[in-house]
Amino acid sequence: MSEILAVKNLVKSFGDLTAVNNVSFSIEDEFFALLGPSGSGKTTTLRMAAGLELPDLGTISLEGTDITGDPPEKRNINTVFQNYALFPHMTVFENVAFGLRRKKIDNRTIRSEVVKFLEMVKLTDKADRLPKQLSGGEKQRIALIRALINKPKVLLLDEPLGALDLKIRQKLAIDLVNIREQVNITFVYVTHDQSEALVMADRIAVMDKGKILQIGEPKELYENPNCGFVSHFIGNTNILKGKVIEKNGELYKVDIPGLTELWGVQPATSREKISVGSTINVSIRPEKVFVSKKKREETSGNNILSGTVEEVIYVGPSTEFLIRLKDGNEFRTFIQNISPENEVWDIKWEDKVFLHWRFDKTLVLPE
Amino acid sequence: MLNVMPSFVYLLLLFYIPMVLLLVISFWNSGFMSLEPAFTFDNYRKFFQNPNYLKILWNTLIVTSGSMALLFVIGYPIGYYLGRMVKRYGSLILFLMIIPVEIGFLVRIYAWKIILSKTGIISSFLVHIGLLKEPARIFLYSRTAIILVLIHEWLPYVVIPVTIALKGIDPSTIEAARDLGASGFTIFRKIIFPLSIPGLFAAFVLIFIPMLGEFAIPTIVGGSSNYMLGNIINNQFMAAGNWGFGSAIGVILLSASVLLIALVIKISGLEKLL
Repeated sequence: MSEILAVKNLVKSFGDLTAVNNVSFSIEDEFFALLGPSGSGKTTTLRMAAGLELPDLGTISLEGTDITGDPPEKRNINTVFQNYALFPHMTVFENVAFGLRRKKIDNRTIRSEVVKFLEMVKLTDKADRLPKQLSGGEKQRIALIRALINKPKVLLLDEPLGALDLKIRQKLAIDLVNIREQVNITFVYVTHDQSEALVMADRIAVMDKGKILQIGEPKELYENPNCGFVSHFIGNTNILKGKVIEKNGELYKVDIPGLTELWGVQPATSREKISVGSTINVSIRPEKVFVSKKKREETSGNNILSGTVEEVIYVGPSTEFLIRLKDGNEFRTFIQNISPENEVWDIKWEDKVFLHWRFDKTLVLPE
Repeated sequence: MLNVMPSFVYLLLLFYIPMVLLLVISFWNSGFMSLEPAFTFDNYRKFFQNPNYLKILWNTLIVTSGSMALLFVIGYPIGYYLGRMVKRYGSLILFLMIIPVEIGFLVRIYAWKIILSKTGIISSFLVHIGLLKEPARIFLYSRTAIILVLIHEWLPYVVIPVTIALKGIDPSTIEAARDLGASGFTIFRKIIFPLSIPGLFAAFVLIFIPMLGEFAIPTIVGGSSNYMLGNIINNQFMAAGNWGFGSAIGVILLSASVLLIALVIKISGLEKLL
């Protein structure tokens, strides 16, 4: 597959604030997500790709052609806006037809194209409505096909599901993936919702404070985050702060002050150098942990911590535990409710428990 | 029910009853200082059969629609500037526009009479730079003077609603239009202008009806050959003592306004936006 959209060393400041600080990525024909908290620069990056903001520095190219300075109307890129941005005075039909009308295409072709796209999102019967007569989900789908009908090389989506409630959001997320497969257009999707990105995207770029921290497939970001921020932002995790006191091959021995010593590994994605004496974060995913009242007998290759159960939350498929460690930190884990006669079912509030997990599931991450 | 009672009573006493009275009286037998209940179209016949009155009706429509058109042509760019281009001081400029409105309208009209008169500032200036040989009235006692003063009186009422309508356009709508391939004038024609129509309509309603009934401006700066319907109505009630005839002209004026507003709503496609 070949490169479709590439941004190199993008920088954009607003006054004293550097919104985007040296961002580079290259996208092929895929569903690409820009994921980050608000203020991370993801929307500004998207707006520069759309041509709605000009970068201070850096280049944007579409299929190898430099488009950095081109205005939005000249780019073969279309955008789905966060608040839909439908034209309130035009019918659904005219909204969808807007892009084609600008290209001076004959009326018959426009009509058949618009109908085809309305059918794709099952809104043919709403063609003569005005935007204000549509529900949020319907508006969103119209905004989507209004952009898609122009057959752009890249479709940019700015938190397109942000304003909708959970049920519609989940349904539209699946629709989006299906539609992308039908139209075969590269999607760049901006979101702050990590679960949305994990469900939809082929690859995700995690952004924070104007920089891209890591780009990878969802599984890679989850299993091998390259820093504490990524491991914390994607999924849930337990973070313990400590200092490296020994290195043994791939393994690092980490001292967690007031608690214990743990063995862990640095993910291959993390390139920052860690040496004895470094202050680091240890990240332990809740599902990697085995919790029990009695300490396991066979413990080689495992880290062990003990703590006191502070909360037991039954949520149907699983039971979640909030455990208070000796040093006062919280630790979250859960068990799946596979067999109710299991001994962990006896774990109650204020019980002392042991947490076991493997060294290679203990991620040592630079601060 | 109880909540709307006070406003209903208010409207009933001050608007609906007088309006119905106006309509009823317009069908009564009426002459100088006399008024008897009847059902006759005499008052209306009198109006439509007299070419002088029809000329005045025509004059009224020309002056008001001409002023309205000029108000839009002058006011829209100002509203566009204030609503879409000015970043700071926009409210200050609006405020400065509103201040003259607060001056009593008679004072303002007389001020214009002085400005346009033989000894006024324009005449003196033109003599001074040699464009006029001797002092002369500038447009005073003409249709042009009426239109000039009407525009001065009503301009803020165009600028303010247009500014507000343009400010209310979601910037992302314009970004979306650009994103979909529209540029420059197409954006104005397809997005900005249609979305500012409610502002123009508000201006039209605010201005057009009072302008149709205007009588002070034509009296003071228009001269006797440029009477408007408002003058005739005023005369019938205040001088000629013919209330029935005055009412009939009032009804004609009111019907014309309602028809025009309905027409404007229809043409501008406004029902979609409201």
